Amino acid sequence: MTTSITESRVPRKTTPPSGVPGRRQPKKLGRYLAMSPGLLFLAAISLYPTLYSLVVSFMRWNLSSGEAARFAGIDNYVDLLTDGLFWNSVRVTLVFVFFSVLIELALAFGLALLFFRGLPGDKFLRALIMMPMLCAPVVVGLLARFSLEPTYGIVNQLMRSIGLPTTEFLGNVDLALPTLIAIDVWQWTPFLFLILLAAMQGLPEEVIEASKIDGASWPRIIWHQFLPLLRYPILVGVLLRLIDSFRVYDIVYMTTRGGPVDATSTMSWQIYNVGFRAFNISYAAAFSWLLLLLVLLAVNSLIRRMVARS
Amino acid sequence: MQDSQKRTARLRIGALGVITAAAVAMSGCAAGAPQNDSGKTTLNAIFLPADWGKVVQEKLAPEYERETGVKVNVELVGRDAIHEKMATLFAGQDSSYDIFNVDYNWIPEFGKGGHLVPLDNALQDKEDFLPLSLKVATWDDKLLGIPQTVHPATLWYNGALYDDQTIKDQYQAETGNTLAVPKTMDEWLTQVKFFNGKTFRGQKLSGWAAQAAKGFGNVHTWLSFAYSFGCKPLNADFTKSTLTTPECIGATERWSEMMKYMPAGANDFTYDSVTTAAQQGSIATAIQWSWGQFATDNPSASKTVGDWQMTTIPTGPTGISSAHLAEWVISVSKYSKNTEEATKFAVWLESKKNDVLQATNGGGDPVRISSYSDPTLTEQKLEGNGAARFRRLPVTLEAMKTAQPRPFFPGEETWETALSTELSAISLGQRGVQEGLSRADEAIDKNLSQ
Repeated sequence: MTTSITESRVPRKTTPPSGVPGRRQPKKLGRYLAMSPGLLFLAAISLYPTLYSLVVSFMRWNLSSGEAARFAGIDNYVDLLTDGLFWNSVRVTLVFVFFSVLIELALAFGLALLFFRGLPGDKFLRALIMMPMLCAPVVVGLLARFSLEPTYGIVNQLMRSIGLPTTEFLGNVDLALPTLIAIDVWQWTPFLFLILLAAMQGLPEEVIEASKIDGASWPRIIWHQFLPLLRYPILVGVLLRLIDSFRVYDIVYMTTRGGPVDATSTMSWQIYNVGFRAFNISYAAAFSWLLLLLVLLAVNSLIRRMVARS
Repeated sequence: MQDSQKRTARLRIGALGVITAAAVAMSGCAAGAPQNDSGKTTLNAIFLPADWGKVVQEKLAPEYERETGVKVNVELVGRDAIHEKMATLFAGQDSSYDIFNVDYNWIPEFGKGGHLVPLDNALQDKEDFLPLSLKVATWDDKLLGIPQTVHPATLWYNGALYDDQTIKDQYQAETGNTLAVPKTMDEWLTQVKFFNGKTFRGQKLSGWAAQAAKGFGNVHTWLSFAYSFGCKPLNADFTKSTLTTPECIGATERWSEMMKYMPAGANDFTYDSVTTAAQQGSIATAIQWSWGQFATDNPSASKTVGDWQMTTIPTGPTGISSAHLAEWVISVSKYSKNTEEATKFAVWLESKKNDVLQATNGGGDPVRISSYSDPTLTEQKLEGNGAARFRRLPVTLEAMKTAQPRPFFPGEETWETALSTELSAISLGQRGVQEGLSRADEAIDKNLSQ
């Protein structure tokens, strides 16, 4: 039985029949045919809308006006680049992304170091740390709104009980964005923690032991062994968080709605405002493309930097 | 692969194809026929998850089905989501929903696009409706929505505070005046300053509270000041922003000054925040929608049951009292496959009987004039308190005579967003009144030019 299968396969692989130049074509065609439903599905749900939004970004189209879309060239892009609200949202988004990802990475790394050798009750603690990540961002936003409310919120009540003054975390221009960053850090540090802990637990024990025998201190082991070996898990985790942070919308919607003034008006929030309050779909599409460009630039420069160092 | 295996595979693929085709065909049939299992009509409606939406979902829609056999599926969806759904469904001429609960300021927007069914002929007794409620449901001389509930802004005051002899004496001593319900903006400001920081029934008081959060809350409160100061935010044909007139500046200065006497966190205050403060008795006065009195009279949530009274918005320098109007209407989608049945249901919802029934169940203030003298409402008392449950109705009726809607034009939502940002900056002291209003003028004019 085995022999017959081997015999029937070997000639096909090694000696294609001569005189039939297109003999391998049907097999290739079969593969493409087999893949085509998936490719079509992908094109329908991803490629087509993406390209369509690019086309729309070169039009003038307000969804509720009842008027047909008309070609407008690069007008939307020119309007955007001269729009103060756009530049404000870019600034707010960049500050949010930079600080939230940086703080999450630092905290996650510290927590992973604490946990990777095992702690008493670490399973329970790990589950506890994971909990914020399991909540929907809308729920987190709502919780934050209630908890940080100046008069009845638990945070201010606790602060007052130890003699600290009442603080408007979400209603103060200077505090609103840092507060949103803190909420994001609370929710998403566990994600990076999970990635880094898994990566640390996979590190070769011999390397650590060898370093110890050579007399290296823990800070040196971490700096010279851990960080280089964890470069790629860190890159993957940071990239995922970076992409996600650029799109921040839910917690803004549930807490500050872009305010006070425009202190927390991120790009995604502005896109929502333009697209789904004013229904200026073409302007929102152009806005989205510029956001995409910004994300690609950030991601690309990070990958290049990491790869160049390695 | 052996021949038999190939045959089996072909058979399986064939069967899968047949099943898929059948499923697609059946789903197509289902989408095209808005009928329930018994062959009767089914309507799909979206309402706000406020009390008036819940009354429709829980009581009126089932009753309508019992009466007519027409089933009405009512989904409760938040305000922003209704607006989004309407725009996107209308753009695709989608017939999934027949009826929408509409904030009246969307009537010009969707009326201009021709997405709503005119209901003039369906509503036979228009004369019984509050004239203003019909006016804001009309665009281009077509009635595009049946008014469901009105909420003019009113001045709330804690009656227990105003009746307290110690407080009255203190007020007399401090101001030289008798404490009485304020009739003018100046009287109100004096009282707000007096109350702010006082302690009453163990609660430290703030002078007043109102919606002030960025988005729409601050604009809605500001409008009651603006209208009472004679400010017209836009020119007559809505082509130019006119926020830097002396009237608008005066109104904004007064609003901004009064913001200092609101509770901590006021810049983030929503309707719910004001309600909570009123329920706790931590504010002396408020500008709030009329129907919110239900929440303060709810003994399970409020410490001030029966205490809150209402009056019309105090008059500005020119003697005008004009509240900002909030109202929700019921509209029928032009793309509905059952516009006739949907129209019948919308009209039925606002029959005399149902207008009263909705109000009784907490569904906002009535839209029919006759409901305001209906004994079912006027004679209801709060349990264990004796105060009239609908004591606000005469004030609501009075306020409706001079109330004004938000600027009634298709770009209102965008106008509100631009103004809200600058009002937020003014109330936080980031910008002066003049500078903030000039910036708002600029931003609004830019939007209008597009």
